[in-house]
Amino acid sequence: MIRYAELQVTTNFTFLEGASHPDELVLTAASLGHAAIAVTDRNTLAGVVRAHVAAEEKGLRLVVGCRLDLTDAGSLLAFPTDRAAYGRLSRLLTVGKRRAPKGACFLGRDDVLEHAEGMLFVLLPPDGRNDSGFAAELRRWRFDLGRRLYLAANHRYRGDDAKRLAWLMDIAAQARVPLLATNDVLYHTPARRPLADVLTCIRTHTTIDEAGWRLAANAERHLKPAQEMARLFRQCPDAVERTLEIVEACTFSLHELCYEYPDEVGENGRPPQETLVDLAWAGAATRYPDGIPDKVVHSLEHELALIAERRFAPYFLTVHDIVRFARSKEILCQGRGSAANSTVCYCLGITEVDPTRMVLLFERFISTARDEPPDIDVDFEHERREEVIQYIYEKYGRDRAGLTATVIRYRSRAAIREVGKVMGLSADVVGRLAGSIWGWSREGVDAERARQYGLDPDDPRLKLTLELTQELIGFPRHLSQHVGGFVITRGLLTELSPVLNAAMEDRTTIEWDKDDIDALKILKVDVLGLGMLSCLRRSFELLAEHHGRTLTLSTIPPEDPAVYDMLCQADTIGVFQVESRAQMSMLPRLKPRRFYDLVIEVAIVRPGPIQGNMVHPYLRRRQGKEPINFPSPELEAILERTCGVPLFQEQAMNIAITAAGFTPAEADKLRRSMAAFRRTGRVAEFRDKFVAGMMANGYTSDFAERCFKQIEGFGEYGFPESHAASFANLVYASAWVKRRYPDVFACALLNSQPMGFYAPAQIVRDAQEHGVTVLPPDVNVSEWDCTLVPPPPPALGGSSIRLTPSALAPPAREAGEVRRGQGLPGKPCPHPPTSWAPPSPRGAGGGAEWALRLGLRLIKGLDEEEARRLLDRRNAGYRDPYDVWRRAGLSIGELERLAKADAFRSMGLDRRAALWAVKALRSGPLPLFARLDDAAQPEPEAALPDMQLGEHIVMDYASLSLSLKAHPLALLRDGLAGIAPAERLRHVRAGTRLTVAGLVLVRQRPGSAGGVIFVTLEDETDIANLVVMPKIFERYRKEILSARLLAATGRVEREETVIHLKVERLEDLTHRLAELTAVPAHAFPEGRNFR
Amino acid sequence: MARRILSLWLPRLATDAWTRDRGHDATRPLAAVAGERGRLMVTAVNRTAERAGVHPGFTLADARAVEPTLVVFDADPQGDSGMLARLAGWALRYTPWTAPYGTDGLVLDVTGCAHLFGGESGLLVDLAKRLKHAGLESCAAIADTPAAAWAVARYGGTCRIIPPAAQRQALDPLPMAALRLPAGIVSELAAVGLRRVGDLHGVPRATLTARFGPEPARRLDQALGRLDEPVSPHRPVPPHTARLALPEPIATPEAIARAVRHLLDELCRGLERTQKGARRLELAVHRIGRTLEDAPQTLAVGTGRPVRDPAALQRLFAEKLDRIAPGLGIEVMTLSAPVVGPLGAVQAGLDGTGDDSDLGDLMDRLGNRLGPHSVLRLVPRESWLPERAVVGNPPLNPPANQSLRPLELWPADRPRPVRLLAPPEPIEAIAPVPDDPPAQFRWRGAVHRVRRADGPERIEAEWWRRTGSPRDYYRVEDTDGRRFWLFRLGLYQPGAKAQWFLHGFFG
Repeated sequence: MIRYAELQVTTNFTFLEGASHPDELVLTAASLGHAAIAVTDRNTLAGVVRAHVAAEEKGLRLVVGCRLDLTDAGSLLAFPTDRAAYGRLSRLLTVGKRRAPKGACFLGRDDVLEHAEGMLFVLLPPDGRNDSGFAAELRRWRFDLGRRLYLAANHRYRGDDAKRLAWLMDIAAQARVPLLATNDVLYHTPARRPLADVLTCIRTHTTIDEAGWRLAANAERHLKPAQEMARLFRQCPDAVERTLEIVEACTFSLHELCYEYPDEVGENGRPPQETLVDLAWAGAATRYPDGIPDKVVHSLEHELALIAERRFAPYFLTVHDIVRFARSKEILCQGRGSAANSTVCYCLGITEVDPTRMVLLFERFISTARDEPPDIDVDFEHERREEVIQYIYEKYGRDRAGLTATVIRYRSRAAIREVGKVMGLSADVVGRLAGSIWGWSREGVDAERARQYGLDPDDPRLKLTLELTQELIGFPRHLSQHVGGFVITRGLLTELSPVLNAAMEDRTTIEWDKDDIDALKILKVDVLGLGMLSCLRRSFELLAEHHGRTLTLSTIPPEDPAVYDMLCQADTIGVFQVESRAQMSMLPRLKPRRFYDLVIEVAIVRPGPIQGNMVHPYLRRRQGKEPINFPSPELEAILERTCGVPLFQEQAMNIAITAAGFTPAEADKLRRSMAAFRRTGRVAEFRDKFVAGMMANGYTSDFAERCFKQIEGFGEYGFPESHAASFANLVYASAWVKRRYPDVFACALLNSQPMGFYAPAQIVRDAQEHGVTVLPPDVNVSEWDCTLVPPPPPALGGSSIRLTPSALAPPAREAGEVRRGQGLPGKPCPHPPTSWAPPSPRGAGGGAEWALRLGLRLIKGLDEEEARRLLDRRNAGYRDPYDVWRRAGLSIGELERLAKADAFRSMGLDRRAALWAVKALRSGPLPLFARLDDAAQPEPEAALPDMQLGEHIVMDYASLSLSLKAHPLALLRDGLAGIAPAERLRHVRAGTRLTVAGLVLVRQRPGSAGGVIFVTLEDETDIANLVVMPKIFERYRKEILSARLLAATGRVEREETVIHLKVERLEDLTHRLAELTAVPAHAFPEGRNFR
Repeated sequence: MARRILSLWLPRLATDAWTRDRGHDATRPLAAVAGERGRLMVTAVNRTAERAGVHPGFTLADARAVEPTLVVFDADPQGDSGMLARLAGWALRYTPWTAPYGTDGLVLDVTGCAHLFGGESGLLVDLAKRLKHAGLESCAAIADTPAAAWAVARYGGTCRIIPPAAQRQALDPLPMAALRLPAGIVSELAAVGLRRVGDLHGVPRATLTARFGPEPARRLDQALGRLDEPVSPHRPVPPHTARLALPEPIATPEAIARAVRHLLDELCRGLERTQKGARRLELAVHRIGRTLEDAPQTLAVGTGRPVRDPAALQRLFAEKLDRIAPGLGIEVMTLSAPVVGPLGAVQAGLDGTGDDSDLGDLMDRLGNRLGPHSVLRLVPRESWLPERAVVGNPPLNPPANQSLRPLELWPADRPRPVRLLAPPEPIEAIAPVPDDPPAQFRWRGAVHRVRRADGPERIEAEWWRRTGSPRDYYRVEDTDGRRFWLFRLGLYQPGAKAQWFLHGFFG
């Protein structure tokens, strides 16, 4: 029996060259019966972990290697024989990459020789023959590397293979270098030749028709059976056998990269475990000042024992240290992840979910079955995460701490563009194909879709394009940096993986991504940014300053019924996680009344449970419409908390183990590699095993199928219970602030923008509905951020507002003082409001004590630095625009922006008057006046037309994206015959036919909704939620996609308190906005698109 | 006498022209697109597309989302300005003073001309009717100043004729953009409430200028006639054009040939001055009683190299002139050279020293007689398939792709036979499996024993063109020393008979 191992293999981690995934190559090698396989990508180790995982699974030996392309010599394959040599190879690549621009690697012969110890090398011959220079080069390498050098020979089917082999044998013998047979593999099967050609074209920026000799003449660079290799090299059988020599010499395996924790964590040289135990108990004492409950004592003892057994103490201490740093800088943070919801983490202050408040997740936080480090992600305020990152770099040094990489892969849109271009399709056709994809998907363009877009899917070129696109999707394209996955090592990071420059300055990343790190069981800490934490920190600051309450995440009063009342009403604009349409429609059905309900709420509106059809059974059971029963007693323990319906990732995995007979490791592998399986189509294998296993244990095939579907969903959008619990904590905290202090919440939320689902306009409107008085931005009163200020007295006289006659058309009134719900008439009202309206019925709010003054940050395009200067020099206030210009030194452009935002009211100037004054500064003051501290020179009166309220509103929208003066619909209302105000939706019976109209706020087409589109409209009374079925969408696509003001007719549907209008007819009313003013309607928001 | 200026606006010139040229169905939505920062943007739309909601400034993707059946073509600003120039020429029927204005309009000085068409309103009606018949949407207005006429043509209501000295009343209600101000100034003025032209009267001039610069006041003055705005009506003459207006209409072949020769002489003189030679010539023949929609008859000839020898060019035309149908008679002929190439100041055709000029002459005559694609030169093409490794190119031009990158030589390690059989001839061969060279083969009845062989060289089908089996090529030498290029079609399959072919000969 002939034995052979392919040692020259290029995977698709040699970007745009290799045409097969590492796992495809490994699987093929295994099925061909190869003794081993090597992976030798060009100057990178990025693909070796994937290959390692696949090889592991198939029980095939993987030889870790790399093809070194040198700047001053030919190419070599390098194979480290042991861990130390691997470290040198990794360091060598680091050297080459750090000195080159991103994506490149500059290495010379001397660099190789410097790091060569412990490595075997295979010199690759040049393309041609009879190259006398090469014989000399071979001798030179032989001189330097001695017996560690081999010479590669391929059979290339170019007609001259026999001669070429004879030549190589000859020079090899002369130089006393053994010859090694390889096939220079580029793909696992000959069927990938077209894709390899396409990659060549993409790489060299050409088309398939122009590429000429750059393309391959044949498809021979695939993995071949040992017998075939022996036949091809029958002139020198040794060369084939010799591959085993290298395999045997290279004993290094990626297993050996087992993680070593950093030393820093132990205090004063004490053992880490001891430190951890002390910290944990001390933390517990602080957490439970009235005595630690027995339950906590037990679980703490249990967990600490488990940590001791697994020696994970340094890891917990590392995370603890990072959190402690954040706390010391008053950066809000919260941990999550499987290990984060342990009692230990709560006591260490890493998480805020009190384990006594929910069913504890037992010891599952550390998998006992797998020797795998625990998983903790820590979220920090998004604006201050960088401080934490720099702390980590500083503490451990750049040579020991680095970010993980993210492999950027081809998604359908990019794939179709690239392949289409290569195949010579016109830009128009490619655009049509790419444009027909709504959102990112891994499915590519199907024939039906193509036909819909007027393309002929039977056209051979188009067909090829679509097929090749399918193949290309999922191919790695380049490495990018992960948002915050840190790897920290005890020794040099560069000996673990090559380290390369990231696009961002001061960042370096390793070559492996999150999955690779997981697979190698290397520890990492995710340092992530979360907007809501910024918002909450601001809330806490405002609470302390204005309401005298000092709170933290852990001291927010728990289980406040009023908060749950609010959540049940789906009154959740701005609340973390549950503010989207889907979440909002779930809340009244779920009716959360305790913390654990929030955990479920967060997890249930996810692709996993939705695809698994788990949502409705759960709701029915919860509402008592269906009995709660368990498929079996063994599943009762797993599913008890969720009424017998699996909702969490842990539950699905547990079912696989308990009911389908998977080992824990198998269950985990199933989840982890779901994405990869989908690609290779091996998902069926797992499904059969899963369903068969469950049926063997007496479950129905229907239940088994549903469980499996859910695991499929989780594979890509996993949401474990432990994450959900941490998120639920933020849901509660933000809901509490919103319910109890709507003024604080709105202010903090506006200052943390951009984040979340809603634009400032909706946040402001929501605050107003909760009884918060909102005041417009003003040069003399506003800060950069929004602020809480004493509310203005009810009557007008008290405020320092002077209005010129030419200000508002109707008698003057301070804009923000008009409240919503007061029914601003369609035309300007003749009298200013004299008293405050009661809070609107929606706002169950606690009556805000403070008014919200919008900050200058809301003014579009305003430069923060200039605005800061304006504020610094404000002192007692500015007298007029000239004063601002002179003292603050603002540019005319910034002054115009302020004027257009109507921010000069405190000087008695409306926006038109202010703009007129600012424009005069353009030519500059005359030198004579420049030194005078007086206002600008007087000039003749100009007759400017008065500004109508409608114009003001349009300008407000143009500058602030919102108007405090009135809603545009209020002014148009008289002309909208037959159109009901949106609030009517609340009062009519289901099934009523109604027409409403409003500004388009959001268009959403969730991937899981089967082509249904959700549109949100807003008028002066309320928000209307539209549901547009695909057929209706096709008919009204123009209206839906381009209208800013839309009228919708349909039937009212309601479930509990969720009200939709199921659309039958749409009308674009955008032109009506022009009635407000001569200014075109594009000042109004286009509506945001979400997917 | 006061000047009277007509301003003509062709709001849909780009799409109308395309519709007219291609016989496009005007009721189908149509848009012109142009690349802009990597995206395709809509630059013009026809009325149907506009009604469907597509507007200039949309990205193509948005436009398609709104109107999936949209027909799209590449915007051709040069072609459009050419069209505008031709229209300016055609409009000479109304007045000797016409000129293109901007990218979508004409300006005509119709002072004292209108009475020929039944007064100014008669002129406007006639103009609109003729343009409409030609498929061009248009708006026109007449006023004392070009600025006022421009404003009313584009922004005016129903009244298209502004009586003398009545610009102010006509302009006051129009939007500020009617003053031909830059969009930035228009929106700045709007921000302070100055939206209509009339709004400017209330603002003292100094105040206005201090805030918005001199432009608004200047444009207003031009419109009102306080400031003179010269119109320079001249048609840009495309380079290398000769025009012959005949005093008496001609119709006989001899007369036509003489006229062509006259034009050629004139054109070649122009070419000589600029050191150019014609690569393509277009002859346009206008018959009596022509209208805009009656396109001139055209003849075109092409040459392989730049030429400016009138006699040689005349010969190229000679074979085609009989295609001209003179009808009632030809009154105007124009000859232009839209494509020219550099040609030094040699005296071409005098002494025959220009050795390949005869060849070029021959090629041109053969080409013009047999059709331009019948005379070819074979040049190498980068393809591994032997039968596709050459391609026919125009005889004297450099190969089209040579300008992009120098054609690489055939790879030295892939020897190819000097003679290739087309198609390859089937042979019977005996060869060890799976892919050893044949030991002997039979071709045209004769048996050849193989003494030496090299191979296989495996060449697969070009998958993007058509599928097919791979071929294994062998260079073999028989016992007589003759060298052949053989291939086996398809890889070895047990049980299947191998198909062998002879594809060429070495030496």
